[in-house]
Amino acid sequence: MLRTIFKPLFRNKKFISAFSVFILIVLMGIVGPILYPKDPTAYAGPMESPPSKDFPLGTDTYGHDLLAQLLNGIRTSLYIGFLSAVISMIIGLLIGSISAVRGGVVDDLLMSFTNIVLTIPQILLAILIATYLKVRSAEVVAILLGILGWPWFARAVRAQLLSLINREYVYLSRLAGYTDIQIAFEDLLPGIATYALMSFILFINGGIMGEAGLSLIGLGPTKGVSLGLILQWAVLMEAVRRGMWWWFIPPGVIIVALTSSLLIVTTTMDEIFNPRLRER
Amino acid sequence: MRDHALNPFIKYLGRRFLFLLITYFIALTIVFILPRAIPGNPLASLLGRISQQAQVNPEYIRSVEKTLMEEFGLGKPVIVQYFEFIGKALKGDLGTSISAYPKKVLDLVIPVIPWTLALLIPSILIAWIVGNTLGAFAGYRRGSLVDKIALNTSLVIGQIPYYWLGMLLIFALTVKLKIFPGQGGYTQGTIPNFSLNFILDVLSHYILPSLSIIISSLGGWAIGTRMLVVNELDSDYVSFSEHLGVKSNTIFGYVFRNSLLPQVTGLALSLGSSLGGALITEIIFNYPGTGYLLFRALSTLDYPLIQGIFVILIASIYLANFFVDFVYAVIDPRVRLGQGES
Repeated sequence: MLRTIFKPLFRNKKFISAFSVFILIVLMGIVGPILYPKDPTAYAGPMESPPSKDFPLGTDTYGHDLLAQLLNGIRTSLYIGFLSAVISMIIGLLIGSISAVRGGVVDDLLMSFTNIVLTIPQILLAILIATYLKVRSAEVVAILLGILGWPWFARAVRAQLLSLINREYVYLSRLAGYTDIQIAFEDLLPGIATYALMSFILFINGGIMGEAGLSLIGLGPTKGVSLGLILQWAVLMEAVRRGMWWWFIPPGVIIVALTSSLLIVTTTMDEIFNPRLRER
Repeated sequence: MRDHALNPFIKYLGRRFLFLLITYFIALTIVFILPRAIPGNPLASLLGRISQQAQVNPEYIRSVEKTLMEEFGLGKPVIVQYFEFIGKALKGDLGTSISAYPKKVLDLVIPVIPWTLALLIPSILIAWIVGNTLGAFAGYRRGSLVDKIALNTSLVIGQIPYYWLGMLLIFALTVKLKIFPGQGGYTQGTIPNFSLNFILDVLSHYILPSLSIIISSLGGWAIGTRMLVVNELDSDYVSFSEHLGVKSNTIFGYVFRNSLLPQVTGLALSLGSSLGGALITEIIFNYPGTGYLLFRALSTLDYPLIQGIFVILIASIYLANFFVDFVYAVIDPRVRLGQGES
């Protein structure tokens, strides 16, 4: 099963290059801090110095080593992106599949709720909640982004399941006396596995972007380093207007590289697995 | 006959309007519940913070404290507080700011809203029009080199966050090339008026933040329309027209028109999400809109002001959504006749 999924993927050049970029950044976040074991929050050397041999990405206003900040920041941002994706995924799958399998009033209620959460702008709600939380760990930020991100996915899951639910094999299962849960897990969910995987990747994107946005206005994690927090300090210290490109360009490049490589991974997956697109 | 055709349209609008009211009511409820539900009671700590400063100006602090107590109705039963809060909000009273005491929240938010709307709406519309046109052309020539280049650049550019693009624009065009001013809505020290000089000054400050919104949302529209056009090209009417020898440009016109419809709904949804981006863009550019006000409110922990901005922005987004729904119903007969509802 896995072989049939991954074989065509790894024959696709676009997929391979995007996937390599993603893995490279993940390695920077996981192995980077070990290979470059500098404390990102300690005074490292002369303040606001441009990149040099001692400081490959220069330093900030507090003399923090910006390469150490970047490597640790990637780690935190990936962690937040991943955790928020897991949370959104679980909520979306639950609400979408209960809605589809149960139907009727349950469906109506859940979908109205979903539509309401969908139309309240995520970032505004996140800002509002985050202001009331004095201490915000990476996990809290991830949970916050996770519980706001699921509505579009829940709707898509419901729509896809509804198209599966009238197939013959599902009727057979019902005749055989399967429970709703058995039908959901054994008959329906495998049918949307690749779609769910692609959505998961998009959720990671959303989490990384969301963290950066929240952090930038001072509502990110209250401790540690993340890509968004590096950008926040760059904004607070006027790094852009004072021309300190080494401070704000690298974290932004990483965010764009991460999210666009993941997006290309999903679009190539779509091209390969979606028969309507594949024919061309 | 006419009335009969009009009915579903009104019914549709009525339902959209009801949904708008319900969601707005829920937004108000969230604003009410949050400060009371989150452990650590931020209101109490706010009162504590204020009374700590009481030595400086006891008179003033006492009056702030009194307003706060009254406004949040602390001490009364929660359900009474809730109805008082909703009642006030419906009358347009969103409380008193703490950082700009004794100014009303509404009086602080209303003057900055035009700046945000003036930044957001034209930028989104330009991005929508340009993005959709580009996407349609790419889709129509799918598989060509132009299409591949357009698609891949759109994918990457679409992933650039508004605010970071803003930083890059400031760095390139303000710091390095010194072409455009990189902050504020107009040159500091000038008094807003309707002279030509002032308008030109406002425009020169407008270009960079607007560009950052246009460029970062353009790619998303292009990709969406491209996909819709590619799907549309499969339709029977397209192959039929081709067999009939209808001109390529005419077919493209049909396809473009039909592909655009779903994008109109997308426009409504994007108003909400773009607003978040615009708020942060304003902060980067020190642009005198709601984002900048929000930033000041956040840094002073002015809870009533933060809540007020939230409530008013939600209201304006819903109104914009309603307006787009209306336009959609006018241009799509299926909705107008009550058949396009899912």
